[in-house]
Amino acid sequence: MKLGILVIQVLGIHVFLFLGAAVKKVVPLPIPASMFGLCLLFLALYFHIIKLEWVEKGANWLMAELLLFFIPSAVGIVNYDEIISVQGAEIVGLIGISTIIVVGMTALIAEMITRMKGSGQQ
Amino acid sequence: MRMVLFTVITYLVYLFVKKVYGKTNLPFFHPLLLTPLLLIALISFGHVSANKYLDATKWLTHMLGPATVAFAVPIYKHLPIIKKYFGTIMISITSGTLVAILSTFGLSKLIHLNVAFITSILPRSITTPIAIEVSKDIGGLPALTTVFVILTGIMGGVIGPSVLKWLSIRTPIAKGLALGMAAHGAGTNKAMEYGEQEATFSSLAMIFAAWITFIWGVVLIPPLMHFHSFF
Repeated sequence: MKLGILVIQVLGIHVFLFLGAAVKKVVPLPIPASMFGLCLLFLALYFHIIKLEWVEKGANWLMAELLLFFIPSAVGIVNYDEIISVQGAEIVGLIGISTIIVVGMTALIAEMITRMKGSGQQ
Repeated sequence: MRMVLFTVITYLVYLFVKKVYGKTNLPFFHPLLLTPLLLIALISFGHVSANKYLDATKWLTHMLGPATVAFAVPIYKHLPIIKKYFGTIMISITSGTLVAILSTFGLSKLIHLNVAFITSILPRSITTPIAIEVSKDIGGLPALTTVFVILTGIMGGVIGPSVLKWLSIRTPIAKGLALGMAAHGAGTNKAMEYGEQEATFSSLAMIFAAWITFIWGVVLIPPLMHFHSFF
């Protein structure tokens, strides 16, 4: 069953999150458990400790539905209505302008480097 | 069971919005914008407190953890691409994170945000779990950071494609890197609409941005906040 495979793979990815949490306990760096988990899963794939097929479907689902996992936090914005009413418009403006600058600068720099390297290589 | 009920409602509203967005492609229907608005309307209509809703659906937020771990898969699959474009990715994302932090800092000064807000908003362009970690580290408030990360995601998904069009950006690498850099998972989600290559570069940008912002959190942001205290 498709759903069963998906659930098992997502649980499998969870195991790496827990392993990441264990590493975090030992390593005194302010790096989140999920980042350690990402590295561990990568190493496990790289050294063929686990096969790509064992986690690929679950990982694809998690990444495809990423927006769903943001929804409760987005609803949680209502708890900050006092901020939103005082400086909300300004903050939204700030984020909008800064986002335009970041998208623009990153895209232009990447495009420039790619052109400099020569378009024939694409 | 409240958890099941609220999760099912959230999922159904999300699916509905995703379908509408897919058909119309109007920025206002972006799932990260319209879904929360509909849900807020629903819970206030049903006289449910926001905290009850949040408590019942917090396992969905928890899924951001395994979702972050899952990004090991595209890194592994696209290792040859990373090797080939390592320089381009590093230069673009190092500049991107720098521009993100500095422009956010400058604009925060301009609107006279207080210190707790500035430290909470600086890591806004990276993925939530890591943004929260950076925020804690530099003295911000994680809950507030989450709000700013979400707003950034909405903005990136809505404005990002228009910026790429205005600047007539053509290469998939530039489109992908820019969206993943500026708007983390939401940007990557948008990049998936462009194509496989864009999505790949976008997820790579998101991961690199998280790591590099981490480093900025240690070497750049503390002196910046120190400088801030002189005003």
